[in-house]
Amino acid sequence: MSSFDMSQYLNVFMDEAEEQLEIMDDGFIKLEQSGEDPDLLNRIFRAAHTLKGASASMGFTNMAELTHDMENVLDKLRQGEVSISQGLVDILLECLDTLEEMKQEITANGNDLAIEISKLAGKLKASTEQSEDQAAEIDEEKSEEPEEVAPSEENVESAIKAAEMDLTEVEKNLIQSADIKGYYVYRIIVELNLDCQMKSVRAYLVFNNLEDYGEIIKTVPTTEEIEDEKFDRSFEIYLVTEEDTDKILNIVKSISEIADVKVSQVFLDGEKPAGIKGPVQSVEDYQNPVKKDADKPDSMPQSGAKVPKKQISQTVRVDVERLENLMNLVGELVIDRTRLTDVGDSVRGKLGTDDLVEDMEEITVHVGRVTSELQEEIMKARMLPIEQVFKRFPRMVRDLAKKAGKDIEFVVEGEETELDRTVIEEIGDPLIHLLRNSLDHGIETSAEERLEKGKPAKGLVKLNAFHEENQIVITVSDDGRGINTAKLREKAVKKGLISQDAASRMSQKEAINLIFYPGFSMAKKISDVSGRGVGMDIVRTHIEKINGIIDIDSKVDRGTTFTIKLPLTLAINRSLLVKVRENVLAIPLVNVVEILHVEIDRIKTMHSHEVTVVRGNVLPLFSLSKVLGWQSDEDKRTKLPVVVAGISDKRVGFVVDSLMGEQEIVIKPLGDYLGQISGLAGATIMGDGRVALILDVRGLVAKTEVRSGYEQAN
Amino acid sequence: MQAEKQTVSEEQLVVFELAGETYGVEIATVHEIIRMQDITDIPRTPEFVEGVINLRGRIIPVIDLRKRFGLGVAEQTQSSRIIVVEVGGVTVGMIVDSVSEVLRLPANNIEPPPAVISGVDAAYLRGVGKMDDQLIILLELSKVLEKEEKKQLQQESFQEVAATQE
Repeated sequence: MSSFDMSQYLNVFMDEAEEQLEIMDDGFIKLEQSGEDPDLLNRIFRAAHTLKGASASMGFTNMAELTHDMENVLDKLRQGEVSISQGLVDILLECLDTLEEMKQEITANGNDLAIEISKLAGKLKASTEQSEDQAAEIDEEKSEEPEEVAPSEENVESAIKAAEMDLTEVEKNLIQSADIKGYYVYRIIVELNLDCQMKSVRAYLVFNNLEDYGEIIKTVPTTEEIEDEKFDRSFEIYLVTEEDTDKILNIVKSISEIADVKVSQVFLDGEKPAGIKGPVQSVEDYQNPVKKDADKPDSMPQSGAKVPKKQISQTVRVDVERLENLMNLVGELVIDRTRLTDVGDSVRGKLGTDDLVEDMEEITVHVGRVTSELQEEIMKARMLPIEQVFKRFPRMVRDLAKKAGKDIEFVVEGEETELDRTVIEEIGDPLIHLLRNSLDHGIETSAEERLEKGKPAKGLVKLNAFHEENQIVITVSDDGRGINTAKLREKAVKKGLISQDAASRMSQKEAINLIFYPGFSMAKKISDVSGRGVGMDIVRTHIEKINGIIDIDSKVDRGTTFTIKLPLTLAINRSLLVKVRENVLAIPLVNVVEILHVEIDRIKTMHSHEVTVVRGNVLPLFSLSKVLGWQSDEDKRTKLPVVVAGISDKRVGFVVDSLMGEQEIVIKPLGDYLGQISGLAGATIMGDGRVALILDVRGLVAKTEVRSGYEQAN
Repeated sequence: MQAEKQTVSEEQLVVFELAGETYGVEIATVHEIIRMQDITDIPRTPEFVEGVINLRGRIIPVIDLRKRFGLGVAEQTQSSRIIVVEVGGVTVGMIVDSVSEVLRLPANNIEPPPAVISGVDAAYLRGVGKMDDQLIILLELSKVLEKEEKKQLQQESFQEVAATQE
């Protein structure tokens, strides 16, 4: 994969990096003030871990190395092996500064190799008084700053102005943007030997060799003409590169049958002389980067085709914020549409059949239809194919497989599946973790092991995406070892996460879900792939943050499948409306497994706790009113409506007063003053203008766990 | 806020009644004044938080100022109003007994607050304004809506909830 393709998600990476750096920055300062705080340390640690994963998958090795080293130190802090001191915070902050520098370097040059990290790595290590030989490894990575250009040789003509040459506006623009980014633009005049037999082949070699070091933006005559040998002895090439003139001269001269080469630098009018690197432009500009170092030269240099021609495009780039705003406005419209229908009904009730009423109803229906279409269109405008995320994986899987010495076939399906861009942004990291997990823990270490088990030597890792009803389903599956639940139980007990008793009582499914516990990791040693126990924890948190569900299906020696179900969008949500003590509550449908009507005499008490049995499984029951903290009157009903909510494999039944039906709702925050209220995800405005609260099912289920645990302890 | 006051020679206040006393808040902080409406109860909030309302598509929390200051509960009447204020980026509705007028008060008519006045803690007060024979208690809204205190109160109510559950 060439560097050009990477740029597509460079923006996403940059935003991500920014966010994680901010978290760390904030965290380190707080850490210094408040001393050790496990929650805070975990948060910083996760940020470092996420950044490490993201930078490694983008191929920014120095950044990955540095974050890995930081992570080591943070882990020691977490384990209590090292205590926090001002000196340590200083070093950590210095690391952040360096990471920031790397980020800028990546924006400017597309890599982070120019940033020196060995010194910092040494400091980090010294700070924890551990001496491994990691710093030495890092030393090898360091690269030198590119030298300033010294045009000295006779072949180097004095600088020429672009205006003196026959350049189109497009080409001038390219030169200008190259200059701003700190690249040089050269005019190279190549003269072939008089007796040169195959001129086009020579020319091709020149192109090919130069394209390893930069991008050819123009040739005189055109590439097609050169290919057809429609030129005399010489031709001109305009090259955008980072190299100095001497290097370029040498490259061309190394090709045989070349009589003479002249290299001159190109400036636009009024531009600064080269050598002074201009200010770095916004990341936005990176969308069309000057191809800097292509590892694999293209089969045929088609410089004409490569120049991004400025033509009137059928697409417009829109600021994400605008789209968000539009989405919000449509949300308002959706609410008003519902209100309009409600009011229309009341008006009809009051006035009966009337021409005016009929007109109004007609308009209402039309407004409703237009609103729906508008909503759909804007949703679509925010949709991106999941390919955006998937595309970076094959390279990552390949590299990881190579590193681990495993032979792996990676299959990707359903790249064209579209989903909301907010969801796209969130789904990348969890998928990286899952894929790494499959590679690292899933697929067997040796081909022999696989053959013994009667599986093909080559391991299979499959990534798939598809639509299912109103959801996106993404699966990551492998045909590896599967999850050994016995080991998981043992480990969880050893780590003190659960008691021996609880471990033995766990069902197979519950045991598999142990891997989602914070601080749980099955890896025997720390690698940069996975294995610190933050991975799966992050995965679940991330997915649940975007109202998704993750499920695991695993069979020992057959393989593991992770299934992620995500909503199509985050702004609008289909919910089940229920009534509790005159309050309308919305339960996101993704979390609703089923609705039951439970006869009161089928409710039993277990461990001083109400349960019922559904199809052979025990379902704990809670009064939604009580769980939320409202008092509830004694229930005199004989049949109770129960909403069965599901978070991963957990099923909890919430008893409500009544069910009101399904509705599309727009999620609104409760605001700063109230802050986060446990059990609530926000609020929405109903058709009648009243406010309904949206339940945070995950929070509620967690609360029921605490309560039942407490009661059991008693 | 303090700096502004010294340069302006008079203040414009929204004056309202609460448990028989007259209070004032700076007009600049007042977004709008609305009639009482349906308030959606929010669980696990301090007692003085009445819930949230829909203000033209925005969700706004509403607090009962009587309860906030511990002035006793009163029936809501026809003259009850919600004053929607915005302080430090936070928008909150405050239930008051009635809103009487908008008043211009010369800055030199404002005196620092006494330690305790009609049951309201001096910490919530900015001063006392004198207008003719009338005493107007000026509220320091940033204190009234302070988050730290709110958190603490929330914690307490949490414990209460936990206690009732046991």
